[in-house]
Amino acid sequence: MQTAQTLEHVQTEHHAHVHGHDTHHHEESFLTKYIFSQDHKMISKQFLITGMFWGVVGGLLSVLFRLQLGWPNETFPFLETFLGKWAEGGKITNEFYYALVTMHGTILVFFVLTGGLSGTFANLLIPYQVGARDMASPFINMLSYWFFFAASVVLLFSFFIQTGPASGGWTAYPPLNGLRDTGVNLGSGLGFDLWILGMSLFIVSALLAGLNYVATVLNLRTKGMSMWRMPLTVWALMFTAVIGILSFPALLAGCLLLEFDRLLDTSFYLNNIVINGELLGYKGGSPILFQHLFWFLGHPEVYIIILPAMGLVSEVLSVHSRKPIFGYKAMVLSIIAILVLSFIVWAHHMFVTGMNPNLGAIFTLFTLLIAIPSAIKTFNWIGTLWKGSIRLSTAALFAIGFVSMFITGGLTGIFLGNSAVDIQLHDTMFVVAHFHIVMGVAAFFGMFAGVYHWFPRLYGRFMNETLGQIHFYITLIGGYAIFFPMHFMTGLPRRYYTYANFETFNNFNHLAAFISVAAIIVFLGQLLFVVNFFYSIFKGRKVKGEKANDGYEYANPWNATTLEWTAPVERIHGNWPGEIPTVHRWPYDYGANGREFIPQTEPLKPGEVSHH
Amino acid sequence: MTVLLSFIILVLLFVVLVLVAKASEISAELKGKFDYIQQSRLNGYLLIGFLVLMFAGSAFAYKELAPVMLPKSASLHGIATDRLFNITTIITVAVFCVTQAALFYFAYRYNESFGHKAYFYPHNNTLEVVWTVIPAVVLTFLIAFGMYEWFKIFNVEARDKNALVVEVTAKQFNWIIRYPGQDNKFGKRVIDKEHISPTNELGIDWTDKGSHDDFMADKLYLVKDRPVLVKIGALDVLHSFYLPHFRVKMDAVPGIPTEFYFVPTMTTEEMRQYLSTQPWWQTINPETGEPRWKTFKYELACAELCGKSHYGMQKEVVVVTQREYDEWLKNQTPVYSTMTPKEAPASPQPAEPVKTAMLTR
Repeated sequence: MQTAQTLEHVQTEHHAHVHGHDTHHHEESFLTKYIFSQDHKMISKQFLITGMFWGVVGGLLSVLFRLQLGWPNETFPFLETFLGKWAEGGKITNEFYYALVTMHGTILVFFVLTGGLSGTFANLLIPYQVGARDMASPFINMLSYWFFFAASVVLLFSFFIQTGPASGGWTAYPPLNGLRDTGVNLGSGLGFDLWILGMSLFIVSALLAGLNYVATVLNLRTKGMSMWRMPLTVWALMFTAVIGILSFPALLAGCLLLEFDRLLDTSFYLNNIVINGELLGYKGGSPILFQHLFWFLGHPEVYIIILPAMGLVSEVLSVHSRKPIFGYKAMVLSIIAILVLSFIVWAHHMFVTGMNPNLGAIFTLFTLLIAIPSAIKTFNWIGTLWKGSIRLSTAALFAIGFVSMFITGGLTGIFLGNSAVDIQLHDTMFVVAHFHIVMGVAAFFGMFAGVYHWFPRLYGRFMNETLGQIHFYITLIGGYAIFFPMHFMTGLPRRYYTYANFETFNNFNHLAAFISVAAIIVFLGQLLFVVNFFYSIFKGRKVKGEKANDGYEYANPWNATTLEWTAPVERIHGNWPGEIPTVHRWPYDYGANGREFIPQTEPLKPGEVSHH
Repeated sequence: MTVLLSFIILVLLFVVLVLVAKASEISAELKGKFDYIQQSRLNGYLLIGFLVLMFAGSAFAYKELAPVMLPKSASLHGIATDRLFNITTIITVAVFCVTQAALFYFAYRYNESFGHKAYFYPHNNTLEVVWTVIPAVVLTFLIAFGMYEWFKIFNVEARDKNALVVEVTAKQFNWIIRYPGQDNKFGKRVIDKEHISPTNELGIDWTDKGSHDDFMADKLYLVKDRPVLVKIGALDVLHSFYLPHFRVKMDAVPGIPTEFYFVPTMTTEEMRQYLSTQPWWQTINPETGEPRWKTFKYELACAELCGKSHYGMQKEVVVVTQREYDEWLKNQTPVYSTMTPKEAPASPQPAEPVKTAMLTR
C-alpha cells in the first residue's frame, strides 16, 4: 500500500507540475533522462535496446556453432583471427563449442526473451494501458533495469577470461557444473562462478520488476478500468510477472546452493564423485535435487517467455483485424489455466532421470492438459481473423507468423509430454526443434509484432514497412527452414560437437549444412531489423497527429481503442498532460454499433450494453 | 580476403535495401497517404504462397527424410512406443494441416483489400466449448495410451527373474561394462577411499567371492528375445545411457543407481538382413567401399551433456542368439583371474578407452 500512496503523491506532483508549465515537463539532466531514468517509457527502451544487443550476440553464437555442425570437416581461418585459441586452425574447439551452446541458451532464454521481452513491453504497456502515470515504484523500476545491466556486464565479461564462459549447458546441471574443476569441464571454473553471479543479479532484476508490474496493475488502474476491461496484453504481462515472482526464487536458491557446493565443499547436489580414480569427499547430496529446483523455474520460464508474446499478439491481431479478440474471457481464463498448470509440469524435463514412474505418469497428465488452454487460445486467434478486415502490416504479419509457429511447435510438445514417447525423444534434436519453434521463434515473432506495432508509441515514428516485410518473410521461411527439418533428426542426441563417431547418427550431413545456411541467412535478416530500428528512430516516417488545445500533438496510428494512444505523441513524464483518462468500456469495441472502433474512453450511449 | 569482400558486399546490399525501402516509403507519402491496402493485397497473396510452400516443403521433407528418421525398433517396448509415436504423428499432422490452412487462408481471404467491413463477433460459447472438448478427448486418449505403455516399461513385478544382468558405469568419456559371469551375480562394490583407486574405479571388493567370475567387456553383448536388466551408474558427472535402436534412455547419475529393463528382438545379423532391403542402406559407404548395411552395428551413446568429449562416448552393442552368447561367454576372462595374488585388488581397466585423437576429429 505504501508504494501506491507514494505514487499517488508522485502523481499529484506531476499533475501540478504539468499544469504549471504549459509547454514542457520538468527539466532533466542527460543523466536522469537517458541513463538513470525512472520513466517507464525510457526504461522500456533501455530494456529493448539491451535485449537487442543480446539478441545479436546470442544469434551470432548460434551462427558460430552452426558452422561447426553444418561443416564438421571444414576449417574457417577467419575464425582463428577473431577467436584465437578458441578456434585454433580455423576450427572451433570442442570446449568452445560447448561454451557457445551454453551461452546461446542462457542469453536467449533469460537476457533476450525474458529481460528483453517482458522488460520492454511490461514497462511500456502496463502504465499506458491501465492509465497510470508511471509504475507503482519508478525507483524500483529503475533498479530492475540496472540489475539487469549489471547481470549483462558480468555475463559479457565471462567471455573474456582465460578459461572462457560457462560451458556445462544453460541448465547448469551438477556435478558437471558443481565441481569447480577446469579439468572436469573448462567452463566450470571462474566462467561458471560468473554465470551464477550474472544469473543471481538477473533474478534480482526479474523479481524487482515483477513485483512492480503486479503492484501497478492491481493498484494504479485508472477510474473505470476494472480488471475485465484490461487489454489482454496487461493480463498476460501481469500473470507473467506472477509466474516469475513465484518461480525465480527457486532458481536463485538452487544456484546459491550450487555455488556453496563449488566454493565451500558442501554436498547439496554431490554424492560419491570419483574423478580419475579418486573418491572426492562429497556425501549424501543429490544431483536430481538441482534438476527439480532448476525446472521448477525452468518450466514456468517458458511461459514467462511465451505469455507476453501471446498478449502482444492478441492485441495486434485484434487491432489489425478491426475485430474484437474472439472469446476475451476464454483468453484470460486460459492464461490463468496455463499459469496454474505451468507450476505442476516441471518434471517432464526429467522423465529419464530414474525418478519414480508414478511421478512420470502424473507429470504426463498435467503436461498434456496444458495443451487444452493452448488449443483454446490458438482457435480464438484464428477465430479473430475470420471475417475481419485485416490490415496486413508488418506487425499483423508477425502476429500471424506467431500463431503459425505456436501451432507447429505446440503440436510436437504432445509427443514429448508423453513420457513413453519421450524415452526415445529426450535430449534429441527433436526437442531442439520443438522448443526453438514454440518458445524461441514464436516468442520472437510476438516481440517483433509488438515492436512494429508500438514503435510509433515509443518514438513517434513508424518503422519502415518494406524492410519490415522483407524481415518478416526471411524470418518466417528461414525459421521453418532451420527448425522444421530437425524434427526428422528424431534419434540424434543434441549437444554433439560432431556425429562422426556414430554410424547411427551419420546420415544427416547434407541436412545439417542446409540448416546452417538457413541459420546464417536468418541471422543476417535480423540485422535488417536492427538497421530498420535505429534508422527509423531518427529518419522514420513521422506519425501524423492533430494538435489539441493543450499544445500537444495526438495520434492514433492504428485506430486502436486502448489508452496508450490517448496520450500525446511526445512521450512526456506522467504520460497525460491533463487528467488521466477515464475508462467506460472494454478494449475490444472494434466494429461495434456499426462503428470502426470506439475508444475505451468513450462513455456508453444511453441504452448501450457494455460487453464487460 | 574473401571474408572482407563478402563483408563489403553484404554491407552494400544492406545499404541498397534500406535506400530502396526508404524510397518506396517516400513515394507512398508523396501520393498523400501511406497505402496499406495495396500492401495488404500483396501480403495476402504472399501468405497463401507461403502456405503452399510450407505444405509442399513438409511433404518433400517427409518423403526425403522419413526413411532415415527413426531407426527401426529392435526392442519389444520400442515397437509399442513407436506405435504411439505414429498415432500422435497422424493426429498432429491432421491438426497442423487444418489449423495452418485456416490461419493463412483467413489472413488472405479477410484482408482489407477485399473491402468488406469487419464482422463484430466477440464470442460464441458453443464454439468455444466444442474446441475445448475435442482436444480434451483426443488428449485423454493419448494420455491413457501413453501411461499404459509407460507403466508396462517400468513394471518391476512383471520382470523375468532370469533376465540377463549387465552393469554399465559411465565416466568421462567412456562406458565401463561389467558382466556378472557364470553365477549371474555381481561382486560387491564398496564406495570408500580404501576400495576406490585409479586401478579400481568401481571400488570392487575383491574379497567378495561373487566378484571372482565378473568380467569387463568392450562391447555390450545382448541376447535376442532374452530380457536384459541394465544397471546404470556414473562415476563423475551426469551421463545418459542411450540405445537409439532399442528406444532405451536412462540417465546415469553419480551416487544414485538407475536401471532399464527391456527385451531385444532382433540380432545384429537380422537387422543387417532387414536393412539390406532399405534403399539408403544399400548405398555404398565411401569409407568401407561396401553397402552400408553390411557394416551396420547397434550403438550405445551418451545423451546427457557430460563435458568436452560428450559426443565421443560410443560403444558397440551386439545382439546375438543365446547359443552365440554362451560361446562368447566362455571366451571371457574374469578380471580376478588376471591379477597376481599380491596385486589383488587389482585393476579392472576397461579395454580400449576412447582415444583423444578420435574425439577431436
